[in-house]
Amino acid sequence: MELRFFIIRRLLLMIPTLIGLTIIVFVLMWSLPHTFLASAFINPKAPNRAQAILTAENQLGLNQGIVLAYLHYLANTLTGNWGYMTLTTPIKFDGTVLSGIGLFFPNTIQLVIFAAILSILIAIPLGTYIGARPNSIADHSGRIFSLSFYAIPVFVLAVVFQVVFGKGVIKGNPVGIFPISGTFSISAINVISPPSWLVSGVGGVVLSEPTHLIIFDSLIHGDYALAANAFMHIVLPVLVLTLSLLAGILRFLRASMVDAANSEYIKTARSKGVPENIVIKLHMRRNALIPTITVLGLLFASLLGGVVLIEDVFDYPGIGYLALSTILSGSIFGVLGTTFLFGIILITANLLVDITYAILDPRIRY
Amino acid sequence: MYSIQNLEDERNKNKAANEEDYLKVTDLVTNFYTSRGIVKALDKINFSIRRGEIFGMVGESGCGKSVTALSIMDLVQDPPGRVVSGRVEIDGFNIFSDIKDLARIRVKSETEVKIKRNKRAIKKHNFMLSKIRGKKAGMIFQEPSLALNPVLRAGDQITENILLHNKKAIADSLINRANLSLDDVKLVVDEVLNNKGETKSILNNWCRKNALVDLETQINSIFKNYTDPKEIENEIVSLIKGGITLVDKSSLIEARDYYDYREKMESFEIKRFAATEENDRELIRSIEAEEVKLRTTSGARFRSYSLRRIFTGKKVEKAFKMEANRRAKELLSLVSLPDPERIMKSYPHELSGGMQQRLMIAIALASDPKLLIADEPTTALDVTTQAQILKLLRNLNQLVGASILFITHDLAVIAEMCNRVAVMYAGSIVEQGDVLDIFDSPKHPYTVGLLGAIPTPQVKTDAGINLHTIPGSVPNLITPPSGCRFHPRCSFAMEICSKSKPKLVELEAQRKVACFLYSSEVEE
Ligand SMILES: Nc1ncnc2c1ncn2[C@@H]1O[C@H](COP(=O)(O)OP(=O)(O)O)[C@@H](O)[C@H]1O
Ligand code: SF4
Ligand SMILES: [Mg+2]
Repeated sequence: MELRFFIIRRLLLMIPTLIGLTIIVFVLMWSLPHTFLASAFINPKAPNRAQAILTAENQLGLNQGIVLAYLHYLANTLTGNWGYMTLTTPIKFDGTVLSGIGLFFPNTIQLVIFAAILSILIAIPLGTYIGARPNSIADHSGRIFSLSFYAIPVFVLAVVFQVVFGKGVIKGNPVGIFPISGTFSISAINVISPPSWLVSGVGGVVLSEPTHLIIFDSLIHGDYALAANAFMHIVLPVLVLTLSLLAGILRFLRASMVDAANSEYIKTARSKGVPENIVIKLHMRRNALIPTITVLGLLFASLLGGVVLIEDVFDYPGIGYLALSTILSGSIFGVLGTTFLFGIILITANLLVDITYAILDPRIRY
Repeated sequence: MYSIQNLEDERNKNKAANEEDYLKVTDLVTNFYTSRGIVKALDKINFSIRRGEIFGMVGESGCGKSVTALSIMDLVQDPPGRVVSGRVEIDGFNIFSDIKDLARIRVKSETEVKIKRNKRAIKKHNFMLSKIRGKKAGMIFQEPSLALNPVLRAGDQITENILLHNKKAIADSLINRANLSLDDVKLVVDEVLNNKGETKSILNNWCRKNALVDLETQINSIFKNYTDPKEIENEIVSLIKGGITLVDKSSLIEARDYYDYREKMESFEIKRFAATEENDRELIRSIEAEEVKLRTTSGARFRSYSLRRIFTGKKVEKAFKMEANRRAKELLSLVSLPDPERIMKSYPHELSGGMQQRLMIAIALASDPKLLIADEPTTALDVTTQAQILKLLRNLNQLVGASILFITHDLAVIAEMCNRVAVMYAGSIVEQGDVLDIFDSPKHPYTVGLLGAIPTPQVKTDAGINLHTIPGSVPNLITPPSGCRFHPRCSFAMEICSKSKPKLVELEAQRKVACFLYSSEVEE
């Protein structure tokens, strides 16, 4: 009951945060030359360009002062009118920022979700095991592991992994079995008459219908060989992200487990005759997860930064690719749109962290 | 051919003199191996606590009271601490029977100590102790706000303890209540309504006959709150059957048999683990025979049952949990916490310090141990709450019949609470005896100093009593004074005092002192 109120209150608190986000993005936009804004906002393929620019000026409220212009911006954002951008375009791309995001974002989500789930699934039991046995061999190895993977920047890790596990990077390397770029191999499809659900564009970017996730789309269309091939392509980027996230979670969970182990309530639990495995899994871990959850929000933010770099290293068509190519093509509304999107993701992630925190820590509600 | 019963009877007869000792601590040594050196926190502690008594332990802060309490349950933080040698017998079980196997400690120098822990032995040791801790002795700590798990509800912290140790008893009471028919209830309701004056005694008899003693107060209040016989019957039935209606009686009986079997096997195991006496070898042999017999007769049945998981089935679990909840609520009223229903659902931080300590006491009592170890249970509380908690502990001692090891640095509290008292100084017990005797005629120079430090009742301060009138300070336990650890502060110190350690000897009945002024016996 109380928890529900907390969640509702927390959701309401999101509103000012979101408004703050729109203000920041709007100010970024407003600080640019206004004539440039209008011409960047319109569809580059528009037949009557001069007319379109006039309409855009009205839509953006460029001549109506900053306050009204902000309200226009808000209305545009809420109605999905995020402007246009230029890309090295896949065929189906209609030029709007939202559809660009729709095409590339799923690939990023896929990496992040796989990495987040994997690292949490590994980190919690491993951190519990290690944290309950401080200064054991397992603990020392765990600490060396997490310290090194926490310290190495992800893009360096990505390159190292490409060299060590990349197919064909080192001749005769028995573990070099994973493709190092793209989402699938051209050799895995019939190039002469490619499947109709593959949408290819200039510059080698190929996206699939309907989910834009090639693994799932090829499963949907029954092409299991292609699915397997596509799966091999995400192994390395997911692995790199997983390891760096895992290292972070492990470090904090281990430290919080050790803290919890030294607390009085653990003595109480043992004095009641609670078996050791329950002392560890219930009494220690329930408490140790609380501080760990708080850093998870921070780790997630750095993961988002990391994923942009990783996508570049692996030539992977995700949001990082989109952001990069909008910057390179000077599509200002593409840049603003992706910035806004990243803001929303972070806010949502923090919301999830706070709610999990409230579920785990009864003291958080007041 | 001995049966276990015979052997145990004989053993009990042999020990008739000690039989009233529920806790017996012999030559207990606990060290902390720190980087600054070995802290010799307990230096051969000896004392015993009788069934039902409140035994006080008093001494300056840092003298080893808490370490004693923790050592008794083998809860000393390791690393850095370890119980190194000695015996702790709780209810006749020596929990350190395997102490030699647990770790090998090689002392190279004060700061360089190699401890080789035997993980396997420690695992077994902890497993055995988890059967003894809580069940035989419960603990109450100084800071209830730290000692309660902040993320678990009060109710869950109590029921955890109940469900850990009392499964069979819970099954029994569920079955007893399942056996009761509506006619039985009708009969007693009629009887009460026809003999208004004797409500209490009739209900008391009836509850006792039907193993419903734990429900007596609630049934009583039903008679007060309702007048219509039909309503009374319905209320009583729903009270009694609460939780049981979930499960059919046969699975309850199976669950009971299963837990009965498990408890028996467990107690065999504990007996074997904690048997140390020479003549226990025979006991062990007969235990093993009984164990084999039980295993061959019931083991197979329960193995196949456990495949079907009847007694751990969801419904049975739920009935158990409900019964445990009911018992938990009773415990909460037993420790005088208002509105048990609400407290069950609260988290520790929602309770005041006094309520937290009451909750802590309820948790410790949940598995019905016959010893409570209370380590300065009132030090962190304000004065009024202190008095209430002390009163509660005294009442519980009467009501539940549990012995209490009561640790404090406050002599006034000892005088108020305890039957006997041990005075500790720098890791040793220096004097022990009946509270009145010790207060009347302290013998050990340290006790004399302590009592000199007690203000007369009129000047008694709220903050308790501190021991500022003894000159000198508490010794460092890494390099404790040689011989009698009190000698640098003792105004009677003689030559021998710095050379040898005086032994705690019995001067007169129930009066022990460790001081060369009274006996020349040396602790080797
Ligand atoms: N974890 C520890 N590490 C090192 N020394 C300890 C530890 N716990 C207790 N000691 C030492 O043991 C001695 C007794 O402490 P304690 O039993 O807590 O005293 P008290 O009588 O106040 O309860 C003290 O000298 C203390 O320094
Ligand atoms: S043994 Fe010696 S030093 Fe110790 S208390 Fe007695 S007289 Fe004092
Ligand atoms: Mg203490």
